[in-house]
Amino acid sequence: MPDTNQVSTEPLRKEGPITALGRAPLEAPTRALALLRKIEPYLYLLPALLLVGGLLLYSVAHTFAISFTDWDLITPPRFAGLKNYIDAIRDPTFTRSFSNTLIWTGGSLLLPVAGGLLLAVILERIPGQRVLKTLIYLPAILSTTVVAAIWSYVYTNNGVLNETLRWVGLEALARPWLVFAPTNTLAMIVASSWRALGPSMVLFLVGLQTIPPELIEAAKIDGAGERILFWRIKLPLLRPITAIVVIMSVIGSFMTFDLVWVMTQGGPGRSSETLAVTMYRQAFIMWRMGYAGAVAVILSTIVIAFSIFYLRATLKRSALW
Amino acid sequence: MVERRSIRQRALDRYLVLALLCLFTTAWVTPLAIVALSSMKTPREQAQSGILALPANAAMILDNIASASELAGIGNGLLSSLIYAFVGSVAAVIAASSAAYSIAMLKIRFPFFWFLIIYSGTIFPFQMYLMPLFGLYQSVGLYDTRFGMLLFYSAIAVPFCIFVFRNYFIGMQGEVIEAASLDGASSFQTYLRIVLPMAKAPALFLFVTQFSWIWNDFLFGQVLAKSDDVRPVMTSLAMLSGAYGKGTIPQQMAGALTASIPTLILFFALQKHFMQGIVLNTAGE
Repeated sequence: MPDTNQVSTEPLRKEGPITALGRAPLEAPTRALALLRKIEPYLYLLPALLLVGGLLLYSVAHTFAISFTDWDLITPPRFAGLKNYIDAIRDPTFTRSFSNTLIWTGGSLLLPVAGGLLLAVILERIPGQRVLKTLIYLPAILSTTVVAAIWSYVYTNNGVLNETLRWVGLEALARPWLVFAPTNTLAMIVASSWRALGPSMVLFLVGLQTIPPELIEAAKIDGAGERILFWRIKLPLLRPITAIVVIMSVIGSFMTFDLVWVMTQGGPGRSSETLAVTMYRQAFIMWRMGYAGAVAVILSTIVIAFSIFYLRATLKRSALW
Repeated sequence: MVERRSIRQRALDRYLVLALLCLFTTAWVTPLAIVALSSMKTPREQAQSGILALPANAAMILDNIASASELAGIGNGLLSSLIYAFVGSVAAVIAASSAAYSIAMLKIRFPFFWFLIIYSGTIFPFQMYLMPLFGLYQSVGLYDTRFGMLLFYSAIAVPFCIFVFRNYFIGMQGEVIEAASLDGASSFQTYLRIVLPMAKAPALFLFVTQFSWIWNDFLFGQVLAKSDDVRPVMTSLAMLSGAYGKGTIPQQMAGALTASIPTLILFFALQKHFMQGIVLNTAGE
């Protein structure tokens, strides 16, 4: 940005006489050079700013605007005020989608988060730690789409799970896993946990390593058993990490899309939709852009609220170290 | 006496825990073995033989990959995704490192403001991007083009990269300014010859994480592309699998396996960076 204040402070005799075309041509190269030097640092910002601003931030603003209109992508959008938001709140499919998303949130706190903590505490003192850790982490490298493909096979009628149940004589338990609610949502949470457990376990292991061993030793000398050690010492000291894992898991649950879309497309009968799936269906299957925008904005409000908690937790953490 | 028994008891407990843990881990990775086994069978063999039965002819996997390619363009998808993941993450690393260089080391006004603007790209759910991007891409002719996909993937990777680079650059500020003033280098020379070589570690780490993110993406391939030539591999794979998939189980599993190979190789080659990655991702350091 050329700065007029700075120009006026320069000694006048350095400038050529003012002409219709600006400063006299004699001095032009130095002036251009000075200008270039001043804007040069900003040029490094430009590619990143254009990419993020032009594609991402523009989209956020536009989606927000769309949510207040009626728009089918063909006829021009009409202003609709809060109608889309009111429609969404009154819509039983939206309510079900919202409660499915809450089930996802709860399930993901129970399986990958609590499960990851449990595994980390057990693994911490096991000799073969590294190999086991790597193997448990392995599914996390796979794409959610790949995980969805694998678990679709696990859950089909003659799939891995039902065949295994028949083989061990538990035929009564075999069922179509992805057809009835809420079993289909729960089954997909298990599939998703297969991928999510490893990372949360690794984070808890990192957290456990930062606990000073003297503290544990001292507690042991005082006669604390494993249980007391866990509840009274390890868990409280893990709190910063726990906060991060919990918030990340909540944010992740609210954005669940790929797995559900590939495995059931939110069905049958829209019974396994999550908020992100509802948004996609409204936008790209039903072409109700305004309604989809309202769902996206509601979803974002929740996610951003949790992100602020997250930022505060991480900031606190880096302030400690 | 009591003391000794409890020690023996503890050792026993430990072995029991270890045994249970090994059992759990085996069950945990069994689905991966099933994927590999089923991808090598014919559909009939898959339906009739046991799930863990060995395939009659392992070379069947090549047939399955070929027919999966024909059905959903897995082969084209692999090539497209390779381009997106490689070029997209390199472009993001370059754009983010130069922006972070400007923010952390050059004299600009409101550096923190510019940082926040770019970094804010990480906070929104992807659902906020879909409709405007789809509309924009349709109207400017970027829809269903490889260039359009590349542009988006570069953009989505920038915010996290700038976060890591900025932190790193602030840490090495002093050294760089000293080295640059000794050299009498211009700001571009400083960036190219001093800053970038010193930032190899975060650049490699970011390349790996962003490469696998782009490689694993399904949603944006679904929204911004449709033809076999442009669609990334995960979006193609989704056409084979799930409730509405049109592939047989061996085709699905062969597709899933092939689509996972690049990230698996990366993981085993650079395991440290991956594990470090999730810690960095969350710790915000």
